[in-house]
Amino acid sequence: MVLQNILRKSQVIVFIAGIALLVIAPWIISSQYIRHLIVVAMLYAVLASNWDLTLGYAGVFNFAHIAFFGLGAYSAGILSKTFGISPWICILAGGLVAVIASAAICLPVLRVRGLYVCLVTFAFGQLCLQIILSQSKYTGGSQGLVLIPPITIGSYSFLNNDKIAYYYLVLLLFIISIVYLRRLVGSYFGLSVVALRDFESYAISRGVPLARQRLLTFIASAVMTGITGAVYAFYLGVVSPDLFGFGYTVTLLSMILLGGIGTIYGSLIGAVVLTFVSEFMVSLGPWRFLIISTIIVLVMMFFPEGILSAVKRLAGSMSKSKTSVQEIKGV
Amino acid sequence: MDMANLEAILLTALILGSLYAMISIGLSMVWGTLRIFNFAHGSMMTLGAYVTWTLTSSAGLNAGISFAIVLALIFMVLFGMFFERLLIAPFIKRPGATLVTIITTLAGSIFIENSAHIIWTPRMKQLPSFIEGGVNMLGTVIAAQELVVMIAAPLILVALAWFLKYSRLGLAIRGVEQNRDSAQLAGVNVSMVYTITFGLSAGLAALAGIMLGTTRFITPTMGSTPLLKAFIVVILGGLGSMGGTMVSAYIVSLVESISMSFLGLYWTPAVLFGIMILVLVFMPNGLFGKE
Amino acid sequence: MTPKLLEICDLEVGYGEVQVLRGISLHLYPGDRIGLFGPNGHGKTTLLQTISGLLKPWKGEIYFNGETISGKSPLDIVDRGIIQVPQGNTLFPRMTVFENLMLGAYARKAWKKRKESQENVLELFPRLAERRAQLCRTLSGGERQMLAIGVGLMGNARLLMLDEPTHGLAPKVKDELYQAIGKIAATGMPIILVEQDVEFLLGLTERLYLLQDGQFILEQSRDSDMLEHNKIMEMYFGSSKDGLHRANLQENE
Repeated sequence: MVLQNILRKSQVIVFIAGIALLVIAPWIISSQYIRHLIVVAMLYAVLASNWDLTLGYAGVFNFAHIAFFGLGAYSAGILSKTFGISPWICILAGGLVAVIASAAICLPVLRVRGLYVCLVTFAFGQLCLQIILSQSKYTGGSQGLVLIPPITIGSYSFLNNDKIAYYYLVLLLFIISIVYLRRLVGSYFGLSVVALRDFESYAISRGVPLARQRLLTFIASAVMTGITGAVYAFYLGVVSPDLFGFGYTVTLLSMILLGGIGTIYGSLIGAVVLTFVSEFMVSLGPWRFLIISTIIVLVMMFFPEGILSAVKRLAGSMSKSKTSVQEIKGV
Repeated sequence: MDMANLEAILLTALILGSLYAMISIGLSMVWGTLRIFNFAHGSMMTLGAYVTWTLTSSAGLNAGISFAIVLALIFMVLFGMFFERLLIAPFIKRPGATLVTIITTLAGSIFIENSAHIIWTPRMKQLPSFIEGGVNMLGTVIAAQELVVMIAAPLILVALAWFLKYSRLGLAIRGVEQNRDSAQLAGVNVSMVYTITFGLSAGLAALAGIMLGTTRFITPTMGSTPLLKAFIVVILGGLGSMGGTMVSAYIVSLVESISMSFLGLYWTPAVLFGIMILVLVFMPNGLFGKE
Repeated sequence: MTPKLLEICDLEVGYGEVQVLRGISLHLYPGDRIGLFGPNGHGKTTLLQTISGLLKPWKGEIYFNGETISGKSPLDIVDRGIIQVPQGNTLFPRMTVFENLMLGAYARKAWKKRKESQENVLELFPRLAERRAQLCRTLSGGERQMLAIGVGLMGNARLLMLDEPTHGLAPKVKDELYQAIGKIAATGMPIILVEQDVEFLLGLTERLYLLQDGQFILEQSRDSDMLEHNKIMEMYFGSSKDGLHRANLQENE
């Protein structure tokens, strides 16, 4: 028990230390390339951990998550580029579009069970992709959306100083997202969601409203995702329809699995590890994907609960294959 | 409405439908028996096409192609069995098997596609056709090869249905599909059935890939779009019914054909996905589903 | 002294962490027919599942023809001719009666004799013979039960285990099953029959075991006193005819 307490407290310390490191990192690291990687890692981390909300905590095979991200990115990009709307409003709009989309897909999701959920949500993503491809006038079609104007505050463009302003914006997003998720997961709402996942009939009989909680979970997972998508669009200046494809989905999924499904910090760790590992292999071309796919299978075989749970187990604390109600409070 | 146009739509629907049925049946079979969704199905198609290409480019031509196809099919069935042992069997007894196998088959498909990229390079290739030239049907001209596809696919599927109905192994496969525990009690080796069924589905996918390869170009990612079509067909038809899958294939191709004529290329995929989602909302088990 | 066909020694089994059977011992000679009864959830089905190899014993041994079978795979056990007809949904709904029977004979040795087995089964259950080409799911409850037993018989059975074959069936159908099982027994087939209806058991078996809380609390041979028989009824149903009536009502619910 003592060990568990230490572990719990140390997580907070590690978290704060980590944030502090990230804050001062740009001043230490001169390579813009590495800073870019950190930004990407943080973006993936937010994406992955928010996806884990529906995938791991709620136990729903939600394959539409990346579509929320893409929709947020595209709407922000289009609003800014074509309609000249202020970037800050675009970012909020990105979140809003993602939320609307998640609510829309939740309706069919409630109607179907098991594998069909996976397929319906995946189909939704594809539907969005097709719509985007067909509206090439606004979206740039298969070439993608380019020349998105950068964020500016007065005369200061975020592109200045090697995009450092973007770095801090993403960092802010990252911190907000983690705090947001932790609060959510530790709240009564979070507990009810896990209860629905693990003991559905019982939870319902105890008055947990299934439809409402599902809907709220979807929306909750989409908020930060859409906003992150919008920021991503501004940061890169381009949005590609590839976002809706298998590639990004698999990458995100591996991050969650590697870190541990049903844990927030797990997805963070997975995101960081995979971003850097994958980046260092870019020069290998298609071999990179051979290695990544092999890693995924190996992880599934030997660490199905992810790195985080394996570490926790090594530390001697009790760990189950899914996050139990007690564990949520700790992570 | 132009009468000739209607015939063109019908013909396209028939050809596409046969192709879609060919593509989807393996997926449906695997779901029915193993209860998993094989995300690597598309890449099996691709691999089948590439292996056949390799065989035909070193061997001779038309005489070679039949031989090459047979050889490629044998290879793909064995490959499918190997794939199942490696990426599915170790995980199938786990509680979350469906999700885990989605991930492992996805990983497998990435592995296959990128291997294809390395081995065969992304430059487009094509398989030689059985028959050259065009054929006049119902007032429209279609490629003779397409006619071959249109006829061959249903024949192959009928042969499959016959095999499943009248052979001892087919009986075992259907038994596992309908009641796995009872089949086991009757002495069926369930994990062997899983392996063989998957191998069969890989062979069927390879055949589909070969058919595609004779009428279209072969690239490492050629399997993605057909896989998505297979999704639509299988889900619309309802998981767990092979007959439903076949009917659904022609329904989808008809809808697609009509939509292409009136709404154009860009809107058609959106329409298909939209319809699929709508159908699921009102009939959560698909049109003929049995869950 | 003829060797025992089936012998179970001090068997202990459970699911996960819950123990169900607490030391079961039982034996069967060739041609024996034994009945198993007792309240639901006390281990009757668990015992059959363990013999069939679907559950691994925690402690104790099971011998068949002198050979240890505890811990062997279900396939091995079926191959030896130990056939269970479980409760509930055990048939293949979208196959015909004929196909169901064929699947019952799937195991290699049984497959070779399938034509002969099929004739025997259809002779035993003429109603099934009529419906040979009919889809299983269109059969009535009683016909399905007959089919289930028939499928079991197709497996070249050396020992037949039936788990509550009359469950939920109308009295007339019960009678038909009674006749059929009697005919099967008359061929010398060893049978373990699990049933709630003790009268049914008494007519078809020579030895009864009452299983309660995972243990045999009564072993009763048919030849023994009528008084003993009444004692069973008393223990099981309560002390009056009232109790028997109550028990029958519960059964039909």
